Amino acid sequence: MSYGTRGRILRVDLTQASIRIEHFDEAFYRLYPGGKALAGYLLLRELAPGTDALAPENLLVIANGLLTGAPISASTRFTVAARSPLTGAYGESEAGGFWGPELKMAGFDAIVVSGRAAQPTYLSIRDDNIELRDARELWGREPEEVQARIRAELGDKQVRVLQIGIGGENLVRYAALTNELRHFNGRTGMGAVMGSKNLKAIAVRGTGRYVDAVHDAKPIAALGRTLGKRVKEHPQAWDMQVKGTPGLLTVLNAAGMLPTRNFREGVFEGVANLSWETYEKDLLSARRTCYACAIRCKREVKVDDRYQVGDTYGGPEYETVEGFGGNCGVDDLQAVAKANELCNRYTLDTISTSSTIAFAMECFEHGLIGLKETGGLDLRFGNAEAMLKAIDLIARRVGIGDLLAQGSKRAAQVIGGDAPRFAMQVKGQELPMHDPRGKVGVGLGYAIGELGADHLYAAHDTMFANPDSVAFKGAIPLDVAALPVRELGGAKARNYAILENWNSFGNAVGFCYFGPAPRSFIQVDEVLSLVRSATGWDMELADLLRIGERAINLARAFNVLNGFSRHDDVLPERLYQPLESGPLAGAGISKEDFQQTIDELYRLKGWDPQTTAPTRARLRELEIEWVADLLGV
Amino acid sequence: MRLYLGSYLSWYVPQRLSRLEIPLAGPISLMELLAQLKLPPAEISIAAVNGILVPLQDTQVSDGDLVEFHPPVGGG
Ligand code: SF4
Repeated sequence: MSYGTRGRILRVDLTQASIRIEHFDEAFYRLYPGGKALAGYLLLRELAPGTDALAPENLLVIANGLLTGAPISASTRFTVAARSPLTGAYGESEAGGFWGPELKMAGFDAIVVSGRAAQPTYLSIRDDNIELRDARELWGREPEEVQARIRAELGDKQVRVLQIGIGGENLVRYAALTNELRHFNGRTGMGAVMGSKNLKAIAVRGTGRYVDAVHDAKPIAALGRTLGKRVKEHPQAWDMQVKGTPGLLTVLNAAGMLPTRNFREGVFEGVANLSWETYEKDLLSARRTCYACAIRCKREVKVDDRYQVGDTYGGPEYETVEGFGGNCGVDDLQAVAKANELCNRYTLDTISTSSTIAFAMECFEHGLIGLKETGGLDLRFGNAEAMLKAIDLIARRVGIGDLLAQGSKRAAQVIGGDAPRFAMQVKGQELPMHDPRGKVGVGLGYAIGELGADHLYAAHDTMFANPDSVAFKGAIPLDVAALPVRELGGAKARNYAILENWNSFGNAVGFCYFGPAPRSFIQVDEVLSLVRSATGWDMELADLLRIGERAINLARAFNVLNGFSRHDDVLPERLYQPLESGPLAGAGISKEDFQQTIDELYRLKGWDPQTTAPTRARLRELEIEWVADLLGV
Repeated sequence: MRLYLGSYLSWYVPQRLSRLEIPLAGPISLMELLAQLKLPPAEISIAAVNGILVPLQDTQVSDGDLVEFHPPVGGG
């Protein structure tokens, strides 16, 4: 093998306690070069439509990308995918850290887990020495202890551990996975799927080298060195290192689009207490990184003041700071750091957890739930103590926590009355901390995304407004147009489609979102030469975009077969209402313009405007005509 | 005059700081201020003076004002 992979998938059937290794060839990998693309292929091929997400029949796919493990900044990510217990749709989440590269070094591109173990179990992979091991003693224990025990049991401190905490064990519908205690596959509830299989952890140790499996290693290593030097010379990469994602808070607040008190407002009066400067002063204890990444954007925090927060589980990112901060009306960064630590210990997605609590706070303020339902918790916006207790109840599924563990959509149906209006979700997945009223392209992504609301596929319009900006210049090879941030219409749809394909390609090959242009410093032509060097394939940029588009179409077909249609590609009603205050006062999204732009997107994507099923012609172009047979189109 | 540079705009000033104090002899336009600081206007997506959004063109500021610039940063 010499195209960036050893062409091996590990198949684990937990019901039968059986393990086998499957091989695929180069032609297959060209179409599905890992990550989202490979996961989408496996789920669409092998998972019967309508399978209950928490049943043994659901498949848990863990897939590296083509570039995962390359000695290049941001080549760190792996995908975890399954039918989502939160949305019922195609579920997927990426994480960086060290675990994906370690799996690559062990010689595997993917692991497919089926069935359910009779008792808590963990999977140990040390190169070709693979076994299922008893995890009864690990069940219910915290990730730090679980990692230490597994390393001790296997007698190897370098084993990398991917695992679930009690959120996953207790089947919270938005439970996450963690690796190295600090990196998370947060979204769509993949931790609950793992918990439903009685699978506590996957421990990996690999002794191979990425460069041994590639076509031409030299240019890859050279680019790795160039990028290492470039971090400080590039404004976006430098910013990720120095301020990190928390640097976004003051920017979005100044623009009037910082989600505040469950997206009711766009300016948070307490933003100074949550800013990255406060973060640096009050929380930061160290900067950390992922495998081979020179950006070093990860943060470690330590607090011994109003709250005690240890340095074990990593520092909060922007989404978490803002989710538990402004969106819950809490202006205490120490409380936010505590919330982050709790979620990370319990392996709960911080976006869905914070957003579901914000939803509950609004229900509480409207009297839809009272002290009786909350068990005495005064769940008003701004009450940090109540927020922290709610996280605990959710992870343990006790009292109101049992209801909130179902996510805001299901909880709203149970609470009734006006509650569904307060659930800021799409397809059942809670909105990340970006308000589409300030950047409409993000709204297109929330509505049309196969995962439900997600902010990492969408084009953030602000980056594509000024043709002379560094972000826009990075996107020039992708042929996007400079457009006003709040404009909808055909040109915006076209930008969206291109950038969604690009981001989807990134998730297929294992790139972190903060590596490539236009968000950061690895230029589009460098990405292309990287893929060429790794594989020896004579590919053009259009081929890379087609990989991304193919992966999206696999996920879309999965959703269509599971009963999703255009009725599910919508925004929460609140976003069509104008903001009442701040710089964006009066700004809403015109429903009519939005629908027309979605229609234009269906046209560009080659999807039926009602069923949203891809046409046979488009699937043929994407070299996946077999999907048309599945869809009956 | 106090200046706040959001996100990656700090990279463009030699101090690489977010908060700067800039003494002003008299009123100055935002475009002149950008030129003095060698901040590229293309990287300014939001300008605010004393908390109110203002257009980059045709805005004058004086000593005592708080000026904020923010770049077109994306998701995260
Ligand atoms: S940019 Fe940050 S999150 Fe991405 S791989 Fe590098 S250190 Fe990890």
